[in-house]
Amino acid sequence: MSGNKVRLNTEWLCDCGGCHVALVDLHEKMLEVLQSVEILKCPVLTDEKGYPEADIGIVTGSVRTEHDLVAVRAMREKCKIIIAFGTCAVYGGLHGAGLAHTREEIMDYVYRQSPTTKTDTIPHNSISALAKMVTPIDEVIEVDLYLPGCPPHAHYILQGLSSLINETTPRVQRETVCAACNRVMKKTDVTEIKSPSEGFADNETCFLSQGYICQGSVTLDRCLAPCPNHGIACSGCAGPTMQVLTEPTRDIRTEISDRMSRLTKIPYDTIKTHIEKSAKTHYAYAMATKMIGNKPTFLIQKWIAEGEVL
Amino acid sequence: MTTTIKIDPVTRIEGHAKVLLDCDAGGRITQANFCVNELRGFERILLGMEAHTLPQITARICGVCPTAHHLVAAKALDNCAGVEIPEAAKLLRELMYMGHVIHSHALSLFVLAGPDLVFGLGGDAATQNIVGMAQREPELTKKGLRLRTLGQKINEVIGGRGIHPVTAVAGGLSFAISDGQCKRLQDLSTEALALVQDLFGKTRDLLLGLFDNNPKLLSQLNIPTWYMGSVNSNGGLNFYDGTLRVVNEEGVVQKEFQASEYQDYLVERAVSYSYAKEVYFEHQGAEHMYRVSTLARFNVIDGIETPLAQAEFEKFKQRFGRPCHNAVLQMYAKLVELLYACEHAVELSQTPAIRGTTRVEAPIRAGRGVAHIEAPRGTLIHDYEIDDQGIVRAANMIIATQQNTAAINESIKEGANALLTNSVDSKMLNGIEFIIRCYDPCLACSTHAIGQMGLDIEVRHNGKVTRRIQRGSHA
Repeated sequence: MSGNKVRLNTEWLCDCGGCHVALVDLHEKMLEVLQSVEILKCPVLTDEKGYPEADIGIVTGSVRTEHDLVAVRAMREKCKIIIAFGTCAVYGGLHGAGLAHTREEIMDYVYRQSPTTKTDTIPHNSISALAKMVTPIDEVIEVDLYLPGCPPHAHYILQGLSSLINETTPRVQRETVCAACNRVMKKTDVTEIKSPSEGFADNETCFLSQGYICQGSVTLDRCLAPCPNHGIACSGCAGPTMQVLTEPTRDIRTEISDRMSRLTKIPYDTIKTHIEKSAKTHYAYAMATKMIGNKPTFLIQKWIAEGEVL
Repeated sequence: MTTTIKIDPVTRIEGHAKVLLDCDAGGRITQANFCVNELRGFERILLGMEAHTLPQITARICGVCPTAHHLVAAKALDNCAGVEIPEAAKLLRELMYMGHVIHSHALSLFVLAGPDLVFGLGGDAATQNIVGMAQREPELTKKGLRLRTLGQKINEVIGGRGIHPVTAVAGGLSFAISDGQCKRLQDLSTEALALVQDLFGKTRDLLLGLFDNNPKLLSQLNIPTWYMGSVNSNGGLNFYDGTLRVVNEEGVVQKEFQASEYQDYLVERAVSYSYAKEVYFEHQGAEHMYRVSTLARFNVIDGIETPLAQAEFEKFKQRFGRPCHNAVLQMYAKLVELLYACEHAVELSQTPAIRGTTRVEAPIRAGRGVAHIEAPRGTLIHDYEIDDQGIVRAANMIIATQQNTAAINESIKEGANALLTNSVDSKMLNGIEFIIRCYDPCLACSTHAIGQMGLDIEVRHNGKVTRRIQRGSHA
């Protein structure tokens, strides 16, 4: 690649578009990147509608329709290196929470039960049907590099792109959000789990120590911890750590329960049950990945169904 | 006998869409359908989630206007809890929002529509993009991108993040700004205001040049509709809050109402060919096509409370009349709103009250929370029912872009008829895409999903392909 510019394609599947805005949010650094990169295809920036041959292919979003499937395969075919960019591409993302519902349930709620909708029409022609599942892209194509984050912070995007441009091995950082969080973990006498709308958390102390559920310790840092450093507990938007993903009987809820029960006087099982009851909230970003979904003790559909009984 | 023309997809809009045109035997377009081709089903996904996460979760509906969703969800939670947030929180949320409007409007004007302004319609696909634009107009491009950056940084200082901010919570804002952050907000806002003044004249001239070069497109795009937008207590432009005002085709006020009453007036209609629903305004037993977004706001407000934008608003009215029905002028109105957002950001950042308490307690209680905000692309409404455990039990959203769908169809029909008769293929394609981009539709929002694929237009007659237009494919 050296000498000539590195050719880049980007493509979006089912997502919010935020990962593409994150590329623009490299701000001044984007101009530096553009000195060594030639953008051939980018749906928000260029009118290129095909799939040119490229060195790097950035894919954002997950696979939800037939169109997404065609697009992600075309990217694989034409790009030497594929980056699964953002939490949706890597883990399925937030709309993976749609896994808890059938297509019919979703369509019925949106088009029939909405209080302002006066029609009885379900869209059915000229459109791509929804796939049954929300699929992270590595279940469909080979992926060379993973960059989760919702969206990933510019720091990590630059790190990844620079190593590809300079043909060095990308450094994979395994730190959790805790590593970038300014709060201090302390042992406390807290006996009950608190809702985020109950009282105000102390800004110096770890949320877990204070009885607030925070996913920072089970979430990969691809953000530099803006949430806990601004008074908001981590919601796990960059997806789980390798430890959580690779241990068959451990996951988000067991790790948090373990840590929190050691820091406070709240029993392990109380915390675990609490998280299971709110599974849809705590597994919102990563439930579509088989690395979580295939764990033998992970019963997300059951927990969600129980939580939805009115 | 019907001919169908398909444009798939439309690029440089925020999302994935295609266009279907039905023609009669004489080649005149009888119907245009703007089809949005993906659905994530957020309203259903939200059910069963803890309500306090709504501002963060709903931001993910759209990566282009996350702050609009973030703030309207927080406002809905304030309303459900029945709390009045502190003055500092209100000011900081609004300043975060001005940063967002600067980012969004600058992105739309300089990145998405910019190439059309610089190269005109019918340019070469290979250069009709931001890279080609940077070569032709390096100063304009650099400054436009810098302005967007400043907006996004204002958003980030207060929101914790630029894309998918997190700090607006039920009861206010999750932190108080430091001396350094306050100074930074003032510096960013001041630089933005200087920059927008520098860019204004050049951008306006490019817009006017585009109008002059495409008189036919312009004359065909006057679609009289009703309009809806927010006004403050003085009838002035307000993005963060206010009363919803609706005017008819003549510009006469038909209704003023609060967001909480939206169900009495707004009617959604699903269509078979698109995931996006259409929305109509119901008034005295009849349903009216209406529009939201920049032009709509200009047709409902009495004025703008910052001096530079007010002066430009007056010029706009004199030049283009009022109400102004021309969709192409959305971009012009956007430029004036960009000026307002920068002026207002400076005002807000220099208000001493932003250093006060930012949060009151907002304990969980069962109830309903409805709120609205003027998203960059028009009025956005979130409506939630929350139970006594703080869990979301019902959710409904009215999104800016879907309210314009019916008008977009009408504009495409008019525009395509003007373009079809005597233009080359690429010019027609660019023209139709341009009309759609004038509305700056955000499809991530309107169906809460996006995606994209190759362009292919088919002209069919009795089911047989008589003409095929393809563009830009290296595959």
